[in-house]
Amino acid sequence: MNIEVKNIRRSFRSTKKEEGWRGTFGLLLRPKYQEHEALKDVSFSIEPGSFNGLIGANGAGKTTLLKILSGLIPPSSGSARVLGYDPFQRSLDFRRKIALVMGQKAQLWWDLPARDAFDLLRAIYEIPNKVYQERLHTLTELLDVQRLLGTQIRRLSLGERMKMELIGAIIHWPSVIFLDEPTIGLDVLAAHKLREFLKVFNHREKATIILTSHNMDDIERLCSRVLILRSGALIYDGHPQGLIQEGERILRVRFINSPSIEDLQKATGLPAQLIQLGDSEAEDSDGTRPILFSIKQDQIVSVLQSVINRFPILDMGIEEQSLEKVIQRIYSEEKAGPA
Amino acid sequence: MKLQWRLAALKNGFQDATAYRVEFLFEILGSALVPAAIQWVLWYALFQLGGATQVAGMSYMDLIHYTFVSLLFSQVRGGDHDFELAEMIRSGQLSNYLLRPVGVVEFVYIRGVASRLFIAGLCLTLGVILAQFLGFSGPRMIGAMFLALLGNIIHYQVGAALATTAFLWEEAYSLLMVKNMVVNLLSGELIPLNLFPPSLQWIWKSTPFYLFVFGPTQYALGHWSHTEFFTQVGIALVWIGLGRALIRGTWGLGMKRYLSLGG
Repeated sequence: MNIEVKNIRRSFRSTKKEEGWRGTFGLLLRPKYQEHEALKDVSFSIEPGSFNGLIGANGAGKTTLLKILSGLIPPSSGSARVLGYDPFQRSLDFRRKIALVMGQKAQLWWDLPARDAFDLLRAIYEIPNKVYQERLHTLTELLDVQRLLGTQIRRLSLGERMKMELIGAIIHWPSVIFLDEPTIGLDVLAAHKLREFLKVFNHREKATIILTSHNMDDIERLCSRVLILRSGALIYDGHPQGLIQEGERILRVRFINSPSIEDLQKATGLPAQLIQLGDSEAEDSDGTRPILFSIKQDQIVSVLQSVINRFPILDMGIEEQSLEKVIQRIYSEEKAGPA
Repeated sequence: MKLQWRLAALKNGFQDATAYRVEFLFEILGSALVPAAIQWVLWYALFQLGGATQVAGMSYMDLIHYTFVSLLFSQVRGGDHDFELAEMIRSGQLSNYLLRPVGVVEFVYIRGVASRLFIAGLCLTLGVILAQFLGFSGPRMIGAMFLALLGNIIHYQVGAALATTAFLWEEAYSLLMVKNMVVNLLSGELIPLNLFPPSLQWIWKSTPFYLFVFGPTQYALGHWSHTEFFTQVGIALVWIGLGRALIRGTWGLGMKRYLSLGG
């Protein structure tokens, strides 16, 4: 195994400020602390050369987990091994074999052209010049940024900068790469290019990759395995398609007089969590929204018959369940309260 | 000791510092001219307006010489890479460096000192030329610049140790500002340290700051013997050893509390 995580917990302590002057003086004189558990008993292992997605709503613990695996912070309890190393020891050998890319943190020097930064990284990782030139050529060609190597980083667009950041992070050919939201803020084309690059790099170099992203396109197109964190707990570990139950469909029905969810529940006999009000984007000019029934393919006819018998309908359609929708549902359950 | 990355970091730091040439030149000129002007006004007031003939055994010309020569060394002691380190810790940018296979404190120093080494080269050339006109010794100027460079290391070490308070406390910036003010006063950058009252001389003697500007100036002007100079070099090396131990301690403690904030 490339990565072994056993019963990891991580908590953070922070001061709690109450409102107004009372809170300000209270913080100064008798600060109150609160404990937040960012990771709760997380365990998993990862195969060499695999491409893994780590997803969860904001604050679910994804970045904390990546920080532990890359050795930036230690776990409060439990253990992690990456390539056989204890990450928090941050041995020189370990640091030579990993890379962490944080979409929100620039690693390259703002006022210098990317080439100058890459030259320094070549010296830091002691990469022979010939090998370095070959890698740089391959990476810049794959990401289509060759012509920008001499441009100051601050003069590049967000997408171009992110590509340079990625090159800087992997110019030493790491065996394990942690990518924290690498496509954040990128336009569709730039995100697509970056995804294609990661796919080719993983395939060619057999590097183990853990990717966090809120973009389900990233996860669906790249990852053979997905880990979902909810309020610090690992709630799913498997193939992305495993999240979508086989044969599950969305029956979308628009009613003339919108019935309540309770009425529809009674009419169809389905549990309430399988009947949802559609997105506001699909709202009619009169404010009515479609109702979505999450059902199996063989239930479609019976459910449709039972609603048509009771309520007049305007139109209907059948959709495939998407990963995006499933993840949205998981995130909204998190907001409602931890599992 | 791996030389390759250190040389590359020096080159990179120099490229970074000189990315904006006009700003770089203004920074050097500004930081040289302001203290020089203050000192000149002070000496003029004392000698020309106040009618003094000597202050602490120094004539008007002695003090003008001090002003000129000390300027060369005060340009070398500076650098704001300790501030950069504190900001990296506070903002979580440190994470970018922690995962590279180099020592962060040394890496930040080498990148930051690059421009100072360039300035030291310029100041040394100027100093050797100045020595011909003012009747000083060129080799003394070289020795004095060496001492000033040791002072630069100590200055960063003190700053880096203070910067590690950013692991515990977000206000490390203010601590570094206070340090800079103390250094301005106790390094001999603003006034020669022998102008301190005799009962307060122990203050500057008990810190390493006099090695940054006052010490090198004394040696360059011929006020220190060679023996005194080598003794002071030895003292500087002891301070460097102590500084190294201090940083190791504070860094080790700080890393246990590092949260890698932001993202």
